[in-house]
Amino acid sequence: MAKLLEGPAMGLFQKWGMRTPHHLVISNVEQLDTLAFANQWMKGAKMVAKAHEALGGRFKLGLVKINLDLDGVKKASKEILDRTVEGTKMSQVIVAEMIEHTEEYYLAVKSVRDGAEILMANVGGIEIESNWDKIVRTTVAVGEKARTTALEECAKKAGFTGDLAKKIVAYAHSLFDCYDNEDGQYIEINPLVVDKKSGELVALDAVTMLDGDARFRHSDWNFNFAADFGRAFTPAEKEIMEIDSKVKGSVKLTEIPGGEIALLPAGGGASVFYSDAVVKLGGSIANYAEYSGDPPGWAVQALTERVCSLGGIKHIIVGGAIANFTDVKVTFQGIISGFRNAKAEGKLDKIKIWVRRGGPNEAIGLAAMRELKNEGFNIEVFDRYTPLTDIVNMALNK
Amino acid sequence: MSIIADEKTRVVMIGGVAGVSAAKRMGEFCHLVQKPFYVDAFVYPPDAGKTADIPVGGLIVPVPIYKSLEDATNNHPGLNTALIYIGPARAAQAALECMDNPKIHSISMITEGVPERDAKLLIKKAKDTGKSLNGPSAIGIMSAGKCRLGVIGGEYNNLILSKLYRPGSFGVLTKSGGLSNEIMWIISQFADGISTAIGIGGDAYPVSDFATYLEMFEKDQETKAVVIVGEMGGNLEEAAAEWYAAKPRRVKLIAIVAGFCQEALPKGMKFGHAGAKEGAHGEGSARSKAEALKKAGAVVPETFGAMGPAIKKVYENLQAVGQAVKVEDTHPADLPQLPKRVEESVKAGEIMVEPLIKSTISDDRGDEPLYCGYPASELINEGYDISHVIGLLWNKKLVTPKEAEAIRRILILSADHGPCVSGAFGTIMAACAGINLPQAVAAGMMMIGPRFGGAVTDAATYFDYGMRNFPNDINGFLAHMKKEVGPVPGIGHRVKSLKNPDKRVKELISYVRSANLSVPHLEYALKVEAVTTTKKDNLILNVDGCMGCILLDLGFPTESLNGFFVLARTIGLIGHYVDQKRNNGRLIRIFNYLVNYAVTPKRKVPPLNK
Repeated sequence: MAKLLEGPAMGLFQKWGMRTPHHLVISNVEQLDTLAFANQWMKGAKMVAKAHEALGGRFKLGLVKINLDLDGVKKASKEILDRTVEGTKMSQVIVAEMIEHTEEYYLAVKSVRDGAEILMANVGGIEIESNWDKIVRTTVAVGEKARTTALEECAKKAGFTGDLAKKIVAYAHSLFDCYDNEDGQYIEINPLVVDKKSGELVALDAVTMLDGDARFRHSDWNFNFAADFGRAFTPAEKEIMEIDSKVKGSVKLTEIPGGEIALLPAGGGASVFYSDAVVKLGGSIANYAEYSGDPPGWAVQALTERVCSLGGIKHIIVGGAIANFTDVKVTFQGIISGFRNAKAEGKLDKIKIWVRRGGPNEAIGLAAMRELKNEGFNIEVFDRYTPLTDIVNMALNK
Repeated sequence: MSIIADEKTRVVMIGGVAGVSAAKRMGEFCHLVQKPFYVDAFVYPPDAGKTADIPVGGLIVPVPIYKSLEDATNNHPGLNTALIYIGPARAAQAALECMDNPKIHSISMITEGVPERDAKLLIKKAKDTGKSLNGPSAIGIMSAGKCRLGVIGGEYNNLILSKLYRPGSFGVLTKSGGLSNEIMWIISQFADGISTAIGIGGDAYPVSDFATYLEMFEKDQETKAVVIVGEMGGNLEEAAAEWYAAKPRRVKLIAIVAGFCQEALPKGMKFGHAGAKEGAHGEGSARSKAEALKKAGAVVPETFGAMGPAIKKVYENLQAVGQAVKVEDTHPADLPQLPKRVEESVKAGEIMVEPLIKSTISDDRGDEPLYCGYPASELINEGYDISHVIGLLWNKKLVTPKEAEAIRRILILSADHGPCVSGAFGTIMAACAGINLPQAVAAGMMMIGPRFGGAVTDAATYFDYGMRNFPNDINGFLAHMKKEVGPVPGIGHRVKSLKNPDKRVKELISYVRSANLSVPHLEYALKVEAVTTTKKDNLILNVDGCMGCILLDLGFPTESLNGFFVLARTIGLIGHYVDQKRNNGRLIRIFNYLVNYAVTPKRKVPPLNK
């Protein structure tokens, strides 16, 4: 899944005929004067300015300012753009008109194995959390369109009547079209409101997840995806993502500040069992990482150097199952080069390395790893005869 | 027995390079189990009409490549299985075609990064057509001792270690490819090995789910127990639990689910597999899956490390009730070994190969070429130049700076001599006839011989002879040459003379003298010139003779001496080629008035006597 920031998400909504507040994204305050001249809607409007970043809890962080006129927007934008939150410099502000409304609703579409589910409720905003049982669902089978009768039924059950019910049904059609044509996975509009001025439904806020794997058939996706775990990507994560997008196979990295156990495992499946083992034994994970699909040595080296640079770590777990086609010799050469560079920079002084692996050229790869002992590395190397996650037990002394 | 893949499986590979690599692994498996190769065809339009050559044991099996699946199934009516190895943009379309083909019943989709929308369409199509589609992002299917689809099982030695050459009692279902291999290994250590192992792929919507395969395993009498390795995200593990609990099942179920760490990690974090993600409201967590499986009666070990002992316990229980019979293992030494490549055998000291050639100057087996042992990059970084490389490769000697300078001057002076000489004219004619650079330069090069540029070696050889046999008797040397050889090579010039000296010769002599290089051959040749010029004004030491003597004095072997002219003049010939191309020089045909037709006049052809 890949999350969209509000700006590009609203752009997609409008493409499929769903109204959103007028808005624009700026990266410096000076842009506002020229934009205000060109955008009629900004004249005399009440506006909201928000940090346009993948951050959870922006309201609490003071990164959302409401009820602003143009001067207020300028002041708020400057304030936001001057801030650095959790190590990330705020780079963009989204400015949107405030929509006067009384009631808030909920509308979502979600991909499921047999098709899609459309979810509706006549409560929305923060109230939805305590009214989960009020959500009414209808399903759309694979390859089919949302049926009007089903949507009408749904709207009725959810408690919408008359003209509003009609508008909700039309909006749900547009939402489904957007989801279906844009390779959506999950789009949740909350709240959906009726604009007092125009009487039209407007999506005030939304979570938009698209299928990153489908990018090849959407030439108009001119946006980057955002991190969807409540913070922006770190420079190291961005660097690894950049490499991942270029190479055969994959390399992945997520940093978890404060952990003591760094992970450098192979394989999408085994890497999760290594994470599980650390957590189960009461250890704290400093990162999630994974390389697989026989990536080139230099990509694994870059990942290794980033993992060695994690602050405060005590152990590095170079784990892996018995590979099918990932060359252990080649990938280990990448890891070894990374270790050597990290050691030269003094990053491995107090760190113990634990290795377990099997697969093509395992004997050569493991022997090369063992050689590191002679270079003064604090390293223990195990082969297939040691069970997968036993090195975690050894590292944590359990 | 086994499921999905067995002795009747006949495969068409859809894809290029990745498909060929997988077919090679399948060839290795056939060698191990000593059964005929079962990949009959490839579909890959860019290479249609060619063959993919797959080693099976010591033999190479040519497998035809077709333009379309229809072509493949028409030519090979036995085909029943397709493996998809093409990129995500076209993989779903290929899978739909496979399901529409009446011959193909089973499809495995190895392609990673297939959009979820496409996977869901494939689920529907598989349901509608009743066909079996494994994947996407699936490593493959292994039926021990019978059939391998894809690279599952890894390298040859692992097939032996994990006892995949004969069937066992355990079925395996995993989302992860690497873990399918790990579990097969564990089962071979703690129990009697696998019947069939299937990697279903780690995407959000694998087309065939755990429950579908469990139903097949339940019907397969050879399979006594099934091991599932699941992970957070989706609901396939829950569906498997539901299947297991629905009624008493013959197969025992052992399962483990990855993803408990999610409870301690940031919500929404991405893991390696696209499908490894809890829902927005915690649906599909590892804990809920493990609980469901446990509740359904499956054995669910606490950690991955506990899988081995858990499998062992299940196996012992099966043995106790007579369900699993102990299988005798073949000793690895009694199994067919993968034929070694010549390099490997030589390295292992098993065979000796008589070398075809011997080289003493250059070695490119490492990261970069070594010239007589010196890495090329270090020569550059130390400031050495092309003269030193010539010294190393032609004479195995690192020349001194003064010697290098002499070589450099020789090359500069010999680089070209205008368009009219034989070599340049040859190249110009060839260039104007429209042929390519190497051939045009070679045309000029072919002119080099006794009359043009090729006298360096001869001149040096005879001056050397004279110096050794007539050191103080120039007239004796000249008499010997007149009697035995003819004109002295290196002496004489068509246009230059004492009055009109060859500037190149003067320049070279003045350099070697000013540099204090010891040049006994040159000194000898100049003594010869002193005598010959008294006889005729133009019998001077020419540039060939001068170069030859100096180079011999620098210690170069006589075999190499013409090489200096060849090397230097190549620069000129390339120049003339480029020049003609740039000028768009017209085709050269010489005029009749330039030919003296000393021919027999036209006459009648006599009848042929047969």
